[in-house]
Amino acid sequence: MSGNISEIRFDRFLAVPEREITIVRYHDIFQTEAALKHGKFSKEYQDLSAVIVLDPADLKKIDASDGDHVKISSEYGTVVAVAKKSEEKKDVRANEGHSGVGYMPASVWSNILGSKPASAKVSRSQQKISTVGELIRV
Amino acid sequence: MTCTGCALLCEDIDVRDGEVRHACRIGTAHILNRQQIDPMVDQEVVDIDDAIRHAAALLADAERPMFLGFGNSITETQAAGVRLAEKIGAGIDPCSVHTSLIDDIVHSRVRTCTLPEVRDQADVILFWGADPMNTHPRLMSGYAYYPRGKNRQHGWEEDRTAIAIDVRRSHTASICKSVHEIIPGRDVEFIDALMLALRNKVPKTVYDSKRVLKLAGTLKKAEFGVIFAGSGLVGSVPRDAIIRLMDELNEFSDFRILPLFSQYNLRSIATAAACEHSGGCTPTPASLHDADCLLCVGFDLASSLPQACDIDASIIVIDPSETLTAGCADVVIPCAAGGVDLAGTAVRMDGTKIDLPSITKTGQTGAGARISDLSIMNRLLEAV
Ligand code: SF4
Repeated sequence: MSGNISEIRFDRFLAVPEREITIVRYHDIFQTEAALKHGKFSKEYQDLSAVIVLDPADLKKIDASDGDHVKISSEYGTVVAVAKKSEEKKDVRANEGHSGVGYMPASVWSNILGSKPASAKVSRSQQKISTVGELIRV
Repeated sequence: MTCTGCALLCEDIDVRDGEVRHACRIGTAHILNRQQIDPMVDQEVVDIDDAIRHAAALLADAERPMFLGFGNSITETQAAGVRLAEKIGAGIDPCSVHTSLIDDIVHSRVRTCTLPEVRDQADVILFWGADPMNTHPRLMSGYAYYPRGKNRQHGWEEDRTAIAIDVRRSHTASICKSVHEIIPGRDVEFIDALMLALRNKVPKTVYDSKRVLKLAGTLKKAEFGVIFAGSGLVGSVPRDAIIRLMDELNEFSDFRILPLFSQYNLRSIATAAACEHSGGCTPTPASLHDADCLLCVGFDLASSLPQACDIDASIIVIDPSETLTAGCADVVIPCAAGGVDLAGTAVRMDGTKIDLPSITKTGQTGAGARISDLSIMNRLLEAV
């Protein structure tokens, strides 16, 4: 970030690793509330919608960490969202994690990837989070 | 007063001095929601009368009109919508994965019950592809799990067993006594395994057969079992598989099914405009391809189907709130919200008719009052 040449990561110029996952949608009460309180074009709604919960093993495979932007592409569309690491016991499937499955709140960010359960490729991305306007092309 | 934030239609809501009492987080935000949009034609703000006139002209000229939604409208608006559809030869699609299950319930192909019956009698409660803690927040405390009921005096601690079956360990799953995780796309295999287990056969399956057998044992012992069917079940499993499972469960015990959808009056429109698609209705570019004019009433098409703005049909939006579809619609007509500033009736998720008094008392007249979707529908009926 400081411009120091030693901090440049040369692996950025190589092909970024990607992982094939199944997208499963879920409902989030706080996201529903944000849509009602602030509208679906709001930053509050975007912050709770443009999210994918990934298993720590999948994050590692795509060389990404919690909070990184990731590109998710299916045969129907592409979206850039924030990756979140599964919280232990809360998001993980009993005892075994959920490698190969990514959870996204039901919204335009997940719906662009197709009807459920959609198969998609996920990889770390330097792009900014997709906006509603970009996704519905208005 | 009644909350129309979801299909539970809670009737104990009190609103005083801008403060909402008894409602959940969703209900409070819904009742106080003022995310309204201006009337528009071709994305330019216009007078509401101009917007209605323009919509009428588009509908009158349409050769293949299609109406989408109506699940968030009062029953009276739905009836006017059905009349309008008949007059201009439009199809109506409630756009919900739950429509086929509602159809099966209405035609007695599966057994159902009311929510008070769940509270009074249910001892085994399955949340299948459903996470009511995030979608119907007062279901567990009002009916499904926590309350004591006539034949369930000991409430959840002793008298009820809650089970979650889902592709994800949801918040609702976290309070259930047992959780069965479905592999995405392999829902029917789980049902097949469970049906074998109900007949005391050890299923050969990708799922843990011992756990499936244990689940079957619990279900068979149920005195009054209920499946709350969320979109994760009805959106992933063909309707005949659900009927088969319900028939099988009822060979051994008394099992009912209740659809858990969010639109507060979907049950009414789904009954009025029965959908023929198996697995329920959800719009796809292909299914909308034939239409030349789409009328979205209380339904955000572009949120469900982001490609909708590219569809080669004119789009009319009638909605109490701002929607993504309004961002690319040819005509936008804002309206009052049922149960908030519009009185009427609705049908709760269990088929019970509920009165919806207007919370804000503005009704349809007075300064700043919003016009109702019923008035809009009636004006369209006169104009086309
Ligand atoms: S559970 Fe549903 S009907 Fe009841 S207060 Fe919450 S949103 Fe309103």
